Amino acid sequence: MNGRLAVFIAGVCLSLAACAGPQKPPEDLLALTDAQLKIRSFQTRTFDTQDSNNVLRAVIGSLQDLGFIIERANAPMGLVTAGKFAGQGYAGFVEVTVIVRSTETKQSEVRVNALFNTKPIEDPKVYQNFFTSLERSLFVSR
Amino acid sequence: MRRKRSGILPTTSPNSSRTGTGSPSGLLRWPVLPIVAGLLLSGCIQMAKPETFFELTPDSVKHKALQSRMFEMTDEKELLSASAAVLQDLGFQVEESEVDAGVLRAAKERSARSVWQEIAQGLVFVLGLFGQKAVIMPVDLHQQIGATLVTRHAENDTSRYTVRILFHRKVWKGDGNDGNTYIPPGQQSMEIIYDAEIYRQFFAKLSKSLFLEAQQI
Repeated sequence: MNGRLAVFIAGVCLSLAACAGPQKPPEDLLALTDAQLKIRSFQTRTFDTQDSNNVLRAVIGSLQDLGFIIERANAPMGLVTAGKFAGQGYAGFVEVTVIVRSTETKQSEVRVNALFNTKPIEDPKVYQNFFTSLERSLFVSR
Repeated sequence: MRRKRSGILPTTSPNSSRTGTGSPSGLLRWPVLPIVAGLLLSGCIQMAKPETFFELTPDSVKHKALQSRMFEMTDEKELLSASAAVLQDLGFQVEESEVDAGVLRAAKERSARSVWQEIAQGLVFVLGLFGQKAVIMPVDLHQQIGATLVTRHAENDTSRYTVRILFHRKVWKGDGNDGNTYIPPGQQSMEIIYDAEIYRQFFAKLSKSLFLEAQQI
């Protein structure tokens, strides 16, 4: 009986955990940390082309190749957002935002942010795979 | 010892556990177990391999060929507006368009009810009655069919454009019941449509509206 009670109490505690009062936002919420700089570096890649519209179209093409559904695109801003269901039993949702900008050095800079179940993906391998696919898409269009 | 074993077996009906004076455990145990199991299993979804999200699969090339056609024309705007018109003919509402990126997104809402699922639901309910459990299996209620269309000119050649369209389907389930547990409605599932006939029909309509032959890529 004690065991059952313990399981019940554990269940109640877990449910009540949601009721905890709002926490103060951490003070470093908007601070730029080393980790963030590192993440930004592997989320970004520069391509030797001035035609950022072509790069944007290659981004859209590679996202389609990867089975993403394009949700929004804005050419003047160089912005694309896309999503797909993934993971076990397609229970998770991957969201990706890509921004293409032309740099002063006449290159195009591609920045990718990916989320899985609203949690940022911070694995460099994931972004590497995306850029491999993008390079292929850019190469095909040339 | 015997009493404990009978408590574990899931044969106690909801009513008997509520009225039974000797075993409040039935009332406690069954809702708690799914909650704890649910909490443990929610961790497993995170274990999906993110590095595979951006990896091309062996089927990628096949799917691309299925979803793309090439048209010999110079006006991308005309190609996009003809595509929008074809999607409208097919009952889609255009939701998003960006000419400079060659993107068009459209959707249509339809009922997802199917007779077979309702028969299955009835059968499961009857079978559940033998186990003294009210089991109502959630069935598909509503679906949204989405289309994402992208145009792109081919290999430094603005006289030929590739049109790629991707059809997908989102399905929402209704509510259900599993013994004591109520299954809330709104469970969502999604699939990309790979039926060649659907793509063939779309491109046939698009060629007709452009007076051009679509070419396989």
